[in-house]
Amino acid sequence: MPLAFLSEGEECDIVEVRGGRGLVQHLFDMGFTPSTRVRVLKSNPPGPMLVEIRDSRVALGKGITIKIIVNRSDGR
Amino acid sequence: MITVAIIGNPNVGKTELFNRLTGMKQHVGNWPGVTVEKKTGTFTYRGEEIRVVDLPGTYSLTAQAADELIARNYIVDEKPDVVVDIVDGTNLERNLYLTLLLLELEANVVIALNRWDMVKERGIVIEVDKLSELLGVPVVPTVAPTGEGAEVLKEVVMKAAKEKEVRRKIVMGYGEDVERPIGVVEDAVRKDASLSGRYPPRWLAIKVLERDGQVLKLVEESPHRAEIMAAVK
Repeated sequence: MPLAFLSEGEECDIVEVRGGRGLVQHLFDMGFTPSTRVRVLKSNPPGPMLVEIRDSRVALGKGITIKIIVNRSDGR
Repeated sequence: MITVAIIGNPNVGKTELFNRLTGMKQHVGNWPGVTVEKKTGTFTYRGEEIRVVDLPGTYSLTAQAADELIARNYIVDEKPDVVVDIVDGTNLERNLYLTLLLLELEANVVIALNRWDMVKERGIVIEVDKLSELLGVPVVPTVAPTGEGAEVLKEVVMKAAKEKEVRRKIVMGYGEDVERPIGVVEDAVRKDASLSGRYPPRWLAIKVLERDGQVLKLVEESPHRAEIMAAVK
């Protein structure tokens, strides 16, 4: 499912980034690589999100959170 | 005159360290992205004048974003004597990605391991000598707000500027599947003496394989473009 669907406090693992070469490269550069753990710190649906990844906090726009495909870490 | 460029991820304290070195008062914000254009200052160390260029904070050096391109073009085209890579010691994994890209660009890197006070406070253990040995570059712990490490950093930077020709080159391997095409493209790139004289051939090869827009344009202008592009397939 897209990262955008997760609620505050939820954790997930990245499956893939669906986007153009530029977006995929940029997110990889920031550490959004497959199997990396992401935690949603703040979410204002349907707006932007604040997430924690690799000990960093990163704000993501809605357009991007839809393109990051994840698995909830509890398997749901 | 020796030219030193300062680079690092956003919000790791680059401008603060820049001010420490130059005695200037560039605006430091408590948020990332304060430096969008490069800023220049100078300081004198043991009678030598050193020019310091503060580059915008970036996670990477792709040709996609303006700030990344400013930083990359400066390093590639102006070839500063030393590139001080400011690394947030509390976030090594993310920060070292940019370090590896700089090493691939064959920049004369010195690492300032910043936020050293917080590293200790959080009980994080970093083997500074080991890190330096693995990356083949000097590593100096610093605390930008107090200026701790700034004098040692100046000394190490001066030494690095003088020894840049003898610097040990570290090659990051990507595994056989990726190394094979890199080798093929690199051989093709080396046939263009002018191109491979201006830019590190291995870096060019990696960028060609990544379909980097700026590097592909350089290749288009090469008399050996057909061979280089054939090597990609």
